[in-house]
Amino acid sequence: MKTITLTLKKKSQIALEFDELIPDKVFTWEKADFENYQVPVGNRRFPLTDYFDIEVEGTAENPAEVKMILDGDCGRVKYIGSKMGAGEIIVNGDADLHCGAEMEGGKITVNGHAESYAGREMKGGELEIMGNTREFCGCSYIGDWRGMSGGKIILHGSAGKQLGECLSGGEIYVGGDCDILAGIHMNKGFIQIDGDVTRWPGGQMKNGNILIKGKLGILLEGMVFDEIVKDPVIDGKSFSGKYIKYTGDLAVNGKGGLYLNAEKNREYL
Amino acid sequence: MEYILKNGIVYDPANNIAGEKKDVMFKDGKIVENVSSDAKVLDVTDKIVMPAGVDPHAHVAGPKLVVGRLYRPEDSRKGVTHKTDVCRSESGFSIPSCPATGYRYSRMGYTTVTEAAMPPLEAKHTHEEITAIPNLDITPLPLFGNNWFVMQYAKEDKIEELAAFISAWLKLTKGYGIKIVNPCGTEAWGWGMNVHGIDDPAPHWDVTGREVLRALAQANEMLGLPHSIHVHPNDLGHPGNFPTTVNTLDCVKDIEKNSSVRDQTIHLTHAQFHSYAGTSWRDVESGADKVADYINKNKHVTCDIGQITLDETTTMTADGPMEFDLHQLNGLKWANKDIELETGSGIVPFIYSGKAPVSSFQWAVGLELFLLIKDPWQLCLTTDHPHAGPFIRYPRIISWLMSAERRQEMMDNLEVRVWSYKRTGLGTLDREYDFNEIATITRASAARIYGYQDRGELTPGYNADIAVYDLNPNDIDPSKEPAAIEKAFGNAMYTIKNGEILVKDGEVVKVVPSHTLWTDVKGFEEQENAVMEKIMPTFRRFYTVKFENYKVHDHFAPNPIVTEVQAGK
Repeated sequence: MKTITLTLKKKSQIALEFDELIPDKVFTWEKADFENYQVPVGNRRFPLTDYFDIEVEGTAENPAEVKMILDGDCGRVKYIGSKMGAGEIIVNGDADLHCGAEMEGGKITVNGHAESYAGREMKGGELEIMGNTREFCGCSYIGDWRGMSGGKIILHGSAGKQLGECLSGGEIYVGGDCDILAGIHMNKGFIQIDGDVTRWPGGQMKNGNILIKGKLGILLEGMVFDEIVKDPVIDGKSFSGKYIKYTGDLAVNGKGGLYLNAEKNREYL
Repeated sequence: MEYILKNGIVYDPANNIAGEKKDVMFKDGKIVENVSSDAKVLDVTDKIVMPAGVDPHAHVAGPKLVVGRLYRPEDSRKGVTHKTDVCRSESGFSIPSCPATGYRYSRMGYTTVTEAAMPPLEAKHTHEEITAIPNLDITPLPLFGNNWFVMQYAKEDKIEELAAFISAWLKLTKGYGIKIVNPCGTEAWGWGMNVHGIDDPAPHWDVTGREVLRALAQANEMLGLPHSIHVHPNDLGHPGNFPTTVNTLDCVKDIEKNSSVRDQTIHLTHAQFHSYAGTSWRDVESGADKVADYINKNKHVTCDIGQITLDETTTMTADGPMEFDLHQLNGLKWANKDIELETGSGIVPFIYSGKAPVSSFQWAVGLELFLLIKDPWQLCLTTDHPHAGPFIRYPRIISWLMSAERRQEMMDNLEVRVWSYKRTGLGTLDREYDFNEIATITRASAARIYGYQDRGELTPGYNADIAVYDLNPNDIDPSKEPAAIEKAFGNAMYTIKNGEILVKDGEVVKVVPSHTLWTDVKGFEEQENAVMEKIMPTFRRFYTVKFENYKVHDHFAPNPIVTEVQAGK
């Protein structure tokens, strides 16, 4: 087991990019390797030691035996754990854009807030965010129609706009509230939102399921009322209580399911 | 500066040199017979030496490329490289950035590329983009097949006036020849319709594709342009379209050629998309044998293939209705544009996958055409970049053509599905191209088809445009080593353009500005003036731009190579 601790000593105005510092690439690195490493900052590179104090303990045979701890406010560190395949990264602070983007395995824990594009195009692994995240969590790359396809995002705070855009697999759990268009264009997978949702979940969804435990602002016209279900079972997961089930989005002849907590959304009954 | 390429094995089909060990010499940018003893020696002992590549049909510059890049950022993120001391950074796979387009062609040993669809109204932009592409000479072909003036002249059978119009428009747009896309079909698309076959009239015009094709072919020969009409026939990609294709080729058979620099009177582009039999995608079969048979029997026809490369790519063409069909088929994002009185266009991303029966079928039809057309001088290698696949796959196609074993292996191990041999005759074809035939279909025939008098051959006096590939043809068995063939043709040992070494060992070492090739017709000025006077009221009434702002001024093509032709000679 190898523990790599990076402690922030100077916050850069321009974001650092950390997509090269993932367990898959650094599991053989010694302290000296980190000290020699130049981290991309904007269109240049600077020594990692300008920004972080580095501690390395133990050894690792493979990426899965690596635990990276980033201490401090990483609100200007982009691509944390991007494309990682194994191992663990813990961020004791905020994370900037693209945290866990394209990750294939392993685990990332952010003990703070994460910026937009967290878990973009995730294929596997687990991304847990204790705070909030912003727009396009678990989405596709801009322009692409293939989004997150596997893995799990657990968000304890709130999510921004277009959560799980183009979702084609995997699961997203939101403990807090969620802004507009959750699950837009999704065709598979599962989104659960425990808090309130502003409007239009499941726009243009083809398939997959969205479950909302809180109150919904405005429902999309393309969602067709199906039935009232008690204690629904979705993809093998059971939920207690009464839910209003809709099918949609009619605009794209979708067969997706939207489950709305009946107690909190009486006006839709 | 004098150079001598020593001891290479030369393939120069135009001069009937097929694998002879000899030296190639050049001086001040031109091939010469002899050089002095001061000449710099480039040792290429036992390496393949060919004229530099000439691509007869690709889409590399113009507004639809820009729209493609804008609406496909997910394509631009592929193929990203850092800048080097010589090159700017690259981006893109199917629609690479302008610099990347130049560098990648250079690395394959190409120096000349045709931009096969320039809407006259967007010609300025096309030329601007050509100046942004390094290392290539680019030949833009303006679109005429759905132009209102052209349709009117075709309907009234006024060939001389049409010729004058073409001559004037080639000057206005700095174009090289006549491109026709889905004649009358794109105009019909302005009304949400399409035409089927060449005798289906455009709505409100009462003129058919046959009339437009014949009129433009006659005008082309009246002017004696260096290239023939360049035709993308009706019904692209529709099962059962091969009769349309054969009728298209046959309808200009009686028109007499009036040019000594080329052999054909019609060039059929991306023939693969036009060679399907059957009635629907359920019962589709290959019509490649019928189209190839017609081409084998008729020397007034040349073609390029538009080979499917089995990649995720971006289809883009001036065939607006076809792109809408494609969008309906795959459900992916669609861009569409109407170009006023002239044409239209569409763009849809497309995934040609060996796992899909239809893509496998199309892949096989293309190869079938390559293998069934007997005379390599009637044939060019293209992918209709980026429509059927990106141009960087040419080396891979070469490896398929040179190895029957590799093709069989792909069919056997399901890299392509069973439709590749059950619906086509590919499984029965074991022809393998040799290096001389490859040299013909990738450079010599294209240069001949375009009537180039300065490239495509290693003749003294011609431009020193030369490609050297790191292969010893006496050593290698292309049938058994397709990967080595692909690697060598994709990473030229030397690419030399106008006597300057642009690529060495697969790396771009020098960047030079591009040139624009266009045709200036002389001796037709009176007729041109008369026609311009006649059409100006229509132009002023219907175009959204003023005529004064329509013309491509000289500064849009800072490095022109002008082919002057005497009308009628």
